[in-house]
Amino acid sequence: MMMGKTHGRFRMALAGAAMSALIFAAAPAVAETPADTLVQAWAIDDIITMDPGEAFEISTGEITGNTYDMLVRLDINDTTNVVGGVAESWTLSDDGLTYTFKLKPDLKFASGNPITAEDVAWSFERAVKLNKSPAFILQQFGLTGDNVTEKAKATDPLTFVFTVDQAYAPSFVLNCLTATVAAVVDSKLVKEHVAAVTPSDEYMFDNDFGNDWLKTNYAGSGPFKLREWRANEVVVLERNDNYYGPKPALLRVIYRHVKESATQRLMLEKGDIDVARNLEPGDYEAVSQNADLATTSAPKGTVYYISLNQKNPTLAKPEVREAFKWLVDYDAIGSTLIKGIGEIHQNFLPKGVLGASEDNPYKLDVAKAKELLAKAGSPDGFNVTMDVRSSQPVTGIAESIQQTTGQAGIKIEIIPGDGKQTLTKYRARNHDIYIGQWGVDYWDPNSNAETFTSNPDNADDSPNKTLAWRNAWDVPELTAATKAALLERDNAKRADMYKELQKTFLETSPFVLIFQQTEVAGLRNTIKGYKLGPTFDTNFVGPVTK
Amino acid sequence: MSTTAQTRREWLLSDRPQSRLQAKLGRAYVTWRRFSGNGLALVGLGIIVALVLVAIFADLIAPYSPTIGDLKNARLLPPSATHWFGTDDLGRDIFSRIVHGSRLTLFVVILVAVIAAPIGLLVGTVAGYAGGWIDAVLMRVTDIFLAFPKLILALAFVAALGPGIENAVIAIAITSWPPYARIARAETLTVRNSDYIAAVRLMGASPMRIVLRHIMPLCLSSLIVRVTLDMAGIILTAAGLGFLGLGAQPPLPEWGAMIASGRRFILDQWWVAGMPGIAILVVSLGFNLLGDGLRDALDPRSGEQ
Repeated sequence: MMMGKTHGRFRMALAGAAMSALIFAAAPAVAETPADTLVQAWAIDDIITMDPGEAFEISTGEITGNTYDMLVRLDINDTTNVVGGVAESWTLSDDGLTYTFKLKPDLKFASGNPITAEDVAWSFERAVKLNKSPAFILQQFGLTGDNVTEKAKATDPLTFVFTVDQAYAPSFVLNCLTATVAAVVDSKLVKEHVAAVTPSDEYMFDNDFGNDWLKTNYAGSGPFKLREWRANEVVVLERNDNYYGPKPALLRVIYRHVKESATQRLMLEKGDIDVARNLEPGDYEAVSQNADLATTSAPKGTVYYISLNQKNPTLAKPEVREAFKWLVDYDAIGSTLIKGIGEIHQNFLPKGVLGASEDNPYKLDVAKAKELLAKAGSPDGFNVTMDVRSSQPVTGIAESIQQTTGQAGIKIEIIPGDGKQTLTKYRARNHDIYIGQWGVDYWDPNSNAETFTSNPDNADDSPNKTLAWRNAWDVPELTAATKAALLERDNAKRADMYKELQKTFLETSPFVLIFQQTEVAGLRNTIKGYKLGPTFDTNFVGPVTK
Repeated sequence: MSTTAQTRREWLLSDRPQSRLQAKLGRAYVTWRRFSGNGLALVGLGIIVALVLVAIFADLIAPYSPTIGDLKNARLLPPSATHWFGTDDLGRDIFSRIVHGSRLTLFVVILVAVIAAPIGLLVGTVAGYAGGWIDAVLMRVTDIFLAFPKLILALAFVAALGPGIENAVIAIAITSWPPYARIARAETLTVRNSDYIAAVRLMGASPMRIVLRHIMPLCLSSLIVRVTLDMAGIILTAAGLGFLGLGAQPPLPEWGAMIASGRRFILDQWWVAGMPGIAILVVSLGFNLLGDGLRDALDPRSGEQ
């Protein structure tokens, strides 16, 4: 009797399970994405604002790059060059201080308002005055809240004049102007939504330049317009029919917030999405072997390195510094630990930046390293610590380096910690060896050169806390050379100067550059024209068709 | 031969022992008989003995180095004749790592037992015997420690002391003595008013002598049982700390840390996380079975003297 009862219950449970299976089985019928819409799955939880004058996040970079336009844009086919955005042409005064931009005539914002030089000037003004995270890109040209209206101004509706404080390399100035912080904002529209603010010591202006409204709204002129952003859920872009350039074939682009790589892979396989953006190596591999799917990748501007603190007398010896470069198993790391997420790159300038060298002379050579160590006076090696963030791929790389340096007698003790702990120690220069990454702030060689090869003041209380400073690498000559390259007005010469800098850096620096990060995406093979750019704001979705 | 064995057995089981030694040996023999009658307890003992042997002879047993692997050619290989348990994401032999990891496990377990049990015993017996405000203060401190979840408290200690296996041991020891204090106090309360304690006191023994020589030995058996049963928990806490990156430092082959680094591959390369998981399961089970057997054997209330 008891048994019979249990069976009855079991049968009911079975029926329930069958019912729910039926319901779930019905779901894939609606899986296919609409023909005029591109659906991407991406972790977009880093978005905190949509205001181009404030946003400095990866996801926002891509959204802004597709929805706004700048004076000049990176040439997607040759990223060491720039092409006109809303600017048709530009001239530089003989003293190298004044840039005059001529705007393309008859351009319109998505709202229908005309694009004028006034809009450009106001965009610069608000970015500098708001003084949010990306503002330094413009402020480094000597712009301040007090002088920005003088230094960046419209002389007539189609002429914008920009004055810098030093005769910088023109490529440097133009490269910086491709950053999303220099995006042209529809001033007429935003001014309708300006909120009053009580001036204080930190913020001296009486209004917020529409920052509050623009956080969730849109006032641009790019190929797409932002229709909606719901935090941690979705971003919807819609075609901007007022765009002056080639019209996108697709009506809509939807970014769905999906965090897990495995989930994205499953959605892509089922056709719920067209593009998966956060695939981890294992899932990327599986996607690339699926006949219905395709993959694409592009090197991005982030490099991973280990650095030796020069405050440690052993690590400060030039032979020891060089020995470390021969003690990393680049081949093995490249073919295993970072497969699909990066490629071996031993220079501080990421591939694609003006002047970037692709010379990778180092490989694992224990005998050579031992020779160098003997020359440095420690033939039997030494003990040293390494601060490592407890996350992949850095822990794996750190353990691999621990093994290979062990072959030359260098015993590395790994001190695990979270990002904050290790970074705090690194910034205080209390580490021996640090493993970390560095991403370019703007697409110009100076962004990385400034941090890797310049150290104007090696004192503990220096205001310039560059990476060279963090490792107490005191290099007055390289600092001067970095500065000189920044002011070199001939582009080819400037590129050569960076090549030279990288060569010296490669031979003498206490940094062992290991790899450059690659961004990958998996897509349905019906998607055509999807291409990842060198930066996140050049991941253009305009040319995509399906 | 058989007659000598018979007589030795009778000598051990004699109810009129001629000397203290004979009485002690007799008790031990009875306890062993009761323990060895329990098959599962013997299995547990076997596992623990095997663990100790593996730890002692790790260098001879392990076919490869536990810390040096072949990243290029031997990464994430499935279990095979050359690599019995497969290899991990840095090309290291997992079997060798587990064998060497047994040392760490044993090190943690023994050190925690050696630190925590005496603290608990001392606090408990002193509180129980002294009574009054001493009892109140010591027991409230114990209560405070008991009020925290063990792993969370250990996490806080490790965060303060810095990561590393020694600090993990200290953190676990600090968090695991309160139950022992409770048990020791309870045992003390049951014996403190008995006649023989009163007799010792009348003979002029100091409170310290009474606690050390006459009360502590009586608390020991229940404490040993409890410690053995806790060993599994200690292993799991150590593994948990290792899993969170706060226990052993890489490349030490700590089992919890091995699981943590293997969880990225759990869908496609199950053995990277699975093998150390099985090792933790088996050893924890061994300690639990042993503890159960010891409880049955040592509990004076179960069975005749």
